[in-house]
Amino acid sequence: MTDEAGVLLRVSGFGIVAGVIYWFVSDFEALGAISLLLLGFGPGFAGLILIQEQRHRGGTRESRADAMRRFAGIPPQDPPGPKDLAAEDLGVLPLPTIWPLAASMGVAVLFTGLIYGLWLVILGLGLLVYATWGWLAAVNRENRYGRLQADTEAPSPQSGPTSDPRPYPDPGPPSGP
Amino acid sequence: MATTELPLPALPEAHHEEPGGIVDYLTTVDHKKIGILYIFTAFAVFLAGGVLALVVRWELASPGLQAMGENTYNQVFTMHGTLMIFLFAAQVTTGLGNYLVPLQIGAADVAFPRANAMSYWLYLFGVLIVVSSFFVAGGPAAVAWTAYAPLSTREYFQGTGMDLWIIGLAVVGVAGILGAVNLVTTIFRMRMPGMTMFRMPLFTWGVLVNQLLILFAFPALTVVFALLFLERNFGAQFFDPTYGGSPILFQHIFWFFGHPEVYIIILPIFGIINEVIPVFSRKPLFGYRAMVFAFFGIAALSFGVWAHHMFATGLVYLPYFSIMSLLIAVPTGIKVFNWIGTMWRGSITLSTAMLMSLGFIVVFLIGGITGIFLASPPIDFAVNDTYYVVAHFHYIMVGGLLYGMFAGFYFWFPKFTGRLLSERLGRWHFATFFIGFNLTFFFQFLVGLDGMPRRIADYEIERWTSANVLSTVGAFLTGVSVLIFIWNFWVSIRRGKRAGDDPWEGNSLEWVTSSPPPSHNFHHLPEVHSERPAFDYRHRGDPELAPVKTDPERDPDRG
Amino acid sequence: MLVAAGCTPQSVTEEGRAVYGLYNLFLYIAAVVFVVVSGLVIWSVIRYRRRDDELPKQTHGNNRLELTWTLIPTVIVLVLFVFTMQAQNKVLDQSGDADVNITATAFQWSWRFAYEGTGAEVVGSPESIPEMVVPVGQTIRVKLLSADVVHSFYVPQTLFKRQAIPGTENLFDLTFEKTGLFHGQCTQFCGLQHPDMVFRVRVVSQGEYQSWLAAETRRGAAGQPGT
Ligand SMILES: [Cu+2]
Ligand SMILES: [Cu+2]
Repeated sequence: MTDEAGVLLRVSGFGIVAGVIYWFVSDFEALGAISLLLLGFGPGFAGLILIQEQRHRGGTRESRADAMRRFAGIPPQDPPGPKDLAAEDLGVLPLPTIWPLAASMGVAVLFTGLIYGLWLVILGLGLLVYATWGWLAAVNRENRYGRLQADTEAPSPQSGPTSDPRPYPDPGPPSGP
Repeated sequence: MATTELPLPALPEAHHEEPGGIVDYLTTVDHKKIGILYIFTAFAVFLAGGVLALVVRWELASPGLQAMGENTYNQVFTMHGTLMIFLFAAQVTTGLGNYLVPLQIGAADVAFPRANAMSYWLYLFGVLIVVSSFFVAGGPAAVAWTAYAPLSTREYFQGTGMDLWIIGLAVVGVAGILGAVNLVTTIFRMRMPGMTMFRMPLFTWGVLVNQLLILFAFPALTVVFALLFLERNFGAQFFDPTYGGSPILFQHIFWFFGHPEVYIIILPIFGIINEVIPVFSRKPLFGYRAMVFAFFGIAALSFGVWAHHMFATGLVYLPYFSIMSLLIAVPTGIKVFNWIGTMWRGSITLSTAMLMSLGFIVVFLIGGITGIFLASPPIDFAVNDTYYVVAHFHYIMVGGLLYGMFAGFYFWFPKFTGRLLSERLGRWHFATFFIGFNLTFFFQFLVGLDGMPRRIADYEIERWTSANVLSTVGAFLTGVSVLIFIWNFWVSIRRGKRAGDDPWEGNSLEWVTSSPPPSHNFHHLPEVHSERPAFDYRHRGDPELAPVKTDPERDPDRG
Repeated sequence: MLVAAGCTPQSVTEEGRAVYGLYNLFLYIAAVVFVVVSGLVIWSVIRYRRRDDELPKQTHGNNRLELTWTLIPTVIVLVLFVFTMQAQNKVLDQSGDADVNITATAFQWSWRFAYEGTGAEVVGSPESIPEMVVPVGQTIRVKLLSADVVHSFYVPQTLFKRQAIPGTENLFDLTFEKTGLFHGQCTQFCGLQHPDMVFRVRVVSQGEYQSWLAAETRRGAAGQPGT
């Protein structure tokens, strides 16, 4: 079990134990017990998923840094080596984008619309959908171009974070600026 | 010993043209810039909330109503609490975490940089929505920051200000959850090789536990706001007993969020203190593992104690919540003693960051000890909802949070900007803050014991006046101390001493990279063999201090 | 912190005396803890100031010490818990019949005190402060109600308060040991004129109480509630 899963499962264990104890000592007060049990189940789920995933991969969890390294054709280092390639050199840092700002504005307008009326909700929803569309298009474009130099291309196609077999196809007209 | 002269390769050219100025910040997905945005926004909120606090103190300086009417006063203290607790305290540490966590774990950025930007913008819009309530008819909410139903339902409080309050905070809640998912994933998934969980810097641990708390506590807040909003605007009846609703339901859900919120605020601050004290004592942190377990002990217990805010309702099972609340003293005590253990036989430099950390220990001790009083139901019956409680949680919040935050600012400012904050002004800042703060809040304990209730614009009992005058004087002195800090910032960012990469001989990885760090954080990372990679790296080759031999093949110095 | 001791109001009720004793116990322990811990902090800062460039010994911890300072607070806390429970049982004890039953109703923004079994009723308003008159040395059982939002019944010198929650009946006992006029106030923020929700408790001798009650009952019957 990884430390991460351990953290989550312990939180979960606490929630369940506290919930059960609380349920009995508080003379069956439901609300607190349910809240505590939910606290138990949420992280429990996440912890089990982590363990499951780890099993799936055959015991060794690969950090994203390792994945990046492998992608760049550098063997994973254990014991760790002194030299680490910066992520940007591997081209995995996203480009600046206005879409998170636009999407947040959509959410804010949508929520405010709950006070002022349906028209504002629709406006906010429209902005949110438009921003999400633009966001996804930008992500897609970056994934295809990869922002990668050819010399850092992964040795085997299925090992990189982008397993798109087409190396650098034309992304097509993206929607949104 | 010497400040690091790391043999770093030259900066490679950035791969893309960064747009300059404001566009840069509007479109950024860089965790460092987003962290700075968080910090600046939260600090602006802090200043606004601070001004409101001064207005409150001004009104209370003498009995009777002088500066304003009751309604204005109610709005002022409601918004003071709202701004400080919901919109400043948790977010300023999220900002620090955003900037520092990827650096401390040797990552290039957070796990989801775009979503990270989105959580910041959601936070900003949430703040703007809440603040906009100042400009609508009827003004902002005047129901106290806890907004207990049924007072906050439409029947007793009309006006759009209240709805804007709910909506704005709901948006901030969404931002918090999104940001928490991001930071937790970052800490779980983006650590560099060798950086095991139990080699992570304690600040990162603090942020991890803090974000886990946000993840589990904020949904309760969202739920209670959703219920309140439905009740106000769509005729639902969750809190009205004549329709089978329950007013106590509100308090339960609110405090299921509300108590963990205290630790959401304070855990990253513990993290900051855990970073600062070892560096300025030139010793490793005493009891690293105990510190981590104390984090988890506090976090777990914090979910089991919400009803200690409800002892006076007469509707909760007292012994359970009393013992759980009392037990929080144990992990907290471990932390304090381990800090002393770290300083013991150390080599202590009293920099401003260290002074702030020491100030933190002392005021937090008072806040924590009085918290033990409040965990005892009979004592809580006596002092709950009086100025005693106000003093107690300001010792935790203002004392704990602000001392820790300023310690963090003085400590990491050189990393953020490449320049040092002035130590001379820093000492003035600390002195005025320490005196002003204690003057403000210590006497509130006394007047609270004497029975002065909180949230009153006016009091009829003359003997409460002297304590209130002292409090007001102290509050304005605290205001002066903040002005000194702002002046220090203003001067130092332009003409401050050059810091170099590692002005303090730091322990964690952020001190290995340049100040400020490049957009992708590191050109080069040392090996991680302990919880102090930067220390090991500084003392590499010294068989006593850095026992793990570096593979000569891989040593950048020789390679 | 020691200054605070002098300012704990002396309780005027039997129940409050238990709280007063408990508070002082907490205060003594707290004062010792505060002095020891802050003393250690100040001592280590003075004694271990940086004098030269030599690195101090790099100790990483000490399990036995850490165990000690885990156990000591645990023991202190458990002791405090035991005393807390004792005091709590005294404060909340409602065994036996009360001598006087009063229904106190909080409303925005004053109080109504109705004396059960008699027609006596006192109603206040923000402008006129209501007085709850009770006999000394007898058990007063207050049934606390709210007519609108959450309020809180608080008389500082009883060292006790209780929330008035709409839809809930909250019962508690007060046994006054001293005659006198005591200040009381709502402590749960309840809207615009919350600071004006003041009341008084007038504790009088048994005889005075009876004559007051009789007069008040007559007035109540005549349909003009006193203030
Ligand atoms: Cu609490
Ligand atoms: Cu009130």
